[in-house]
Amino acid sequence: MTEGSSRPTDPKLLELLVAPGSHNTLRYDAEAQELIDDRGGLAFPIRDGIPIMLIDEARALDEGEARKV
Amino acid sequence: MCGDGEAITIWRGTLAYTKVRRMTRENDTTHFGFRTVQAAEKASLVRGVFDSVAPRYDLMNDLMSGGVHRIWKDTFVSWLDPRPGRAYLDVAGGTGDIAFRILESAERCASVLRGDGLVPGTHVTVCDINKEMLAVGRDRALDKGRIQGMSWTCGDAEALPLPDRSVDAYTIAFGLRNVTRIDQALAEARRVLKPGGRFLCLEFSTVVLPVLDRLYDIYSFKVLPAMGRYVARDEEAYRYLAESIRKFPPQDELIARMEAQGLRQCKYRNLSGGIAAMHSGWRL
Repeated sequence: MTEGSSRPTDPKLLELLVAPGSHNTLRYDAEAQELIDDRGGLAFPIRDGIPIMLIDEARALDEGEARKV
Repeated sequence: MCGDGEAITIWRGTLAYTKVRRMTRENDTTHFGFRTVQAAEKASLVRGVFDSVAPRYDLMNDLMSGGVHRIWKDTFVSWLDPRPGRAYLDVAGGTGDIAFRILESAERCASVLRGDGLVPGTHVTVCDINKEMLAVGRDRALDKGRIQGMSWTCGDAEALPLPDRSVDAYTIAFGLRNVTRIDQALAEARRVLKPGGRFLCLEFSTVVLPVLDRLYDIYSFKVLPAMGRYVARDEEAYRYLAESIRKFPPQDELIARMEAQGLRQCKYRNLSGGIAAMHSGWRL
């Protein structure tokens, strides 16, 4: 399976998760298949429907990408 | 202390991922089986072990324990005594072994209460650091027709992606041994538990019966690696298993460490003469 494949993402889980370490709330970007921590400047990938909540595998947000919180 | 070079020769192919974890100081060391390794290294080494064994993990468990791991897991979940409508977190439970048992048990309880087994709201979140294991569990859930009541996420026991006070029970079966910093994982367990919530750990432990301990040593260091070689085609992974079991804190020490992290009314029960043990504690 490739990244961002069409497996449905579990809505219950999206509601539940926070960023590891900081416990910041997350914003779901359905198109990019990412969970975004605006405050922490990190995007956690969702691969094959499974959120990868590891800081090591998160993408650092580009400048201006994070929404004001 | 072992150098990186040695780790790479032993665990070839598993170290592509070597970034130092953010929360780890570089000079921290921990155990990886009998070797002392950089704390930063252990997580990726452990991941390598489970990536390599994931497809045959359940077969190996059955072979290694003669099926006894199923009885241990049943006993573990019956001590948990799952109830319908509660939120559970199962850490390091990628293949879903504990999660399915929790849901089935909660449903049996619900069917006694209501007669139809359909009490909404029982939920198990499975959190594992290993994506391969999660994929096995999630596919198994689909095979069983389980769409509701389970969520699958990749995460680290030392930095859980869940809010404070969000679950009624935290379970970890054969996972705590593989965590780099056990105390940090215990602190995280307490953090995510609601007040009145329960921590329950199932792990290999220290054999307390004479004679059995000798036999168990022979079994672990001779028989297990041989089975690993022929069945999972990875002898080193199963040597790691035997060594990591011996390095894990014995029953009373784990109780003390749970209490140090703020868990209360901690107690344990041995299984099969201490080959495994269940540890229970509460956030009060």
